[in-house]
Amino acid sequence: MKTLGLGFGMAFGFLLAGAGLMNYNVIHEGLLLRNATMFLIMGSAVAVIAVGIWLLERFRWVTPLQGLLKVKRIPIDKKHINGAVIFGIGWAITGSCPATSAAMLGSGIGYGAVVMAGILLGVLIFDKSKHSHT
Amino acid sequence: MYPIPWYVAGPLMGLVVLATYAVMNRPLGALGSYAQIVDFLRRKPVKESWRIWYLVGVMLGGAGAKWLFGVPAEVASYGKLGELIGNPALLALLLLGGGCIGYGARWMGGCTYGHGMCGVSVRSPGSLLATATFMMTAIAVTLLVHWITGGLL
Repeated sequence: MKTLGLGFGMAFGFLLAGAGLMNYNVIHEGLLLRNATMFLIMGSAVAVIAVGIWLLERFRWVTPLQGLLKVKRIPIDKKHINGAVIFGIGWAITGSCPATSAAMLGSGIGYGAVVMAGILLGVLIFDKSKHSHT
Repeated sequence: MYPIPWYVAGPLMGLVVLATYAVMNRPLGALGSYAQIVDFLRRKPVKESWRIWYLVGVMLGGAGAKWLFGVPAEVASYGKLGELIGNPALLALLLLGGGCIGYGARWMGGCTYGHGMCGVSVRSPGSLLATATFMMTAIAVTLLVHWITGGLL
């Protein structure tokens, strides 16, 4: 699992970086609805995954490492609004996210580390707060 | 404009996610990596250590992209935000913004790709709501800041 995790991460990070998603301006312009790049990337990825998962589930795919494929679908909860609002604010401020900040750091951009540190702190504070169940 | 056009990057990223489901029966999303790291720091059991390796992989992927394509100056200097706000204020803002990302993502149980890519693709109701909400929030905040700064940001 670890080697696969590493491999998938390398592929994902390489694509993120090469497609421009590490660029604050690309995200910012996207959120200003002036640049479609990130929406096109996410949309085309979703299309591929949707078709692929449909096929895999239809043929009751058995994963080599973890048995029968069982895709988790989660019911709606208040947290999907509350958490999403706070996340959206952070995303708008930084133009970054958990994955892109890591790719940034890997590219030698120190700011990535600052965002990552903030994310870690945010996760830690949440885990210790009243909203958490852990 | 970028070395990898969207119609190559998007589908390929989709394939990586598909592969993760097909081989490991798991969704892909970097937030899980941070959660595992925090568990480790709090001396709690780390149940999905592969996610930490995933994050290391993402960093290496970024390094690979730098090696092949280089890093545009505007990316290294944090684009428009970096132009307007220098250090150390920029560092403080990124830390604060990161805190919001971490707190919010943990609360909603996922991140941009975890909910926005995986969850939406499989039509998970929670992910659809979360994605729509964080998208609308981010757009609204960005437009508001754009208006308040008179178009500077």
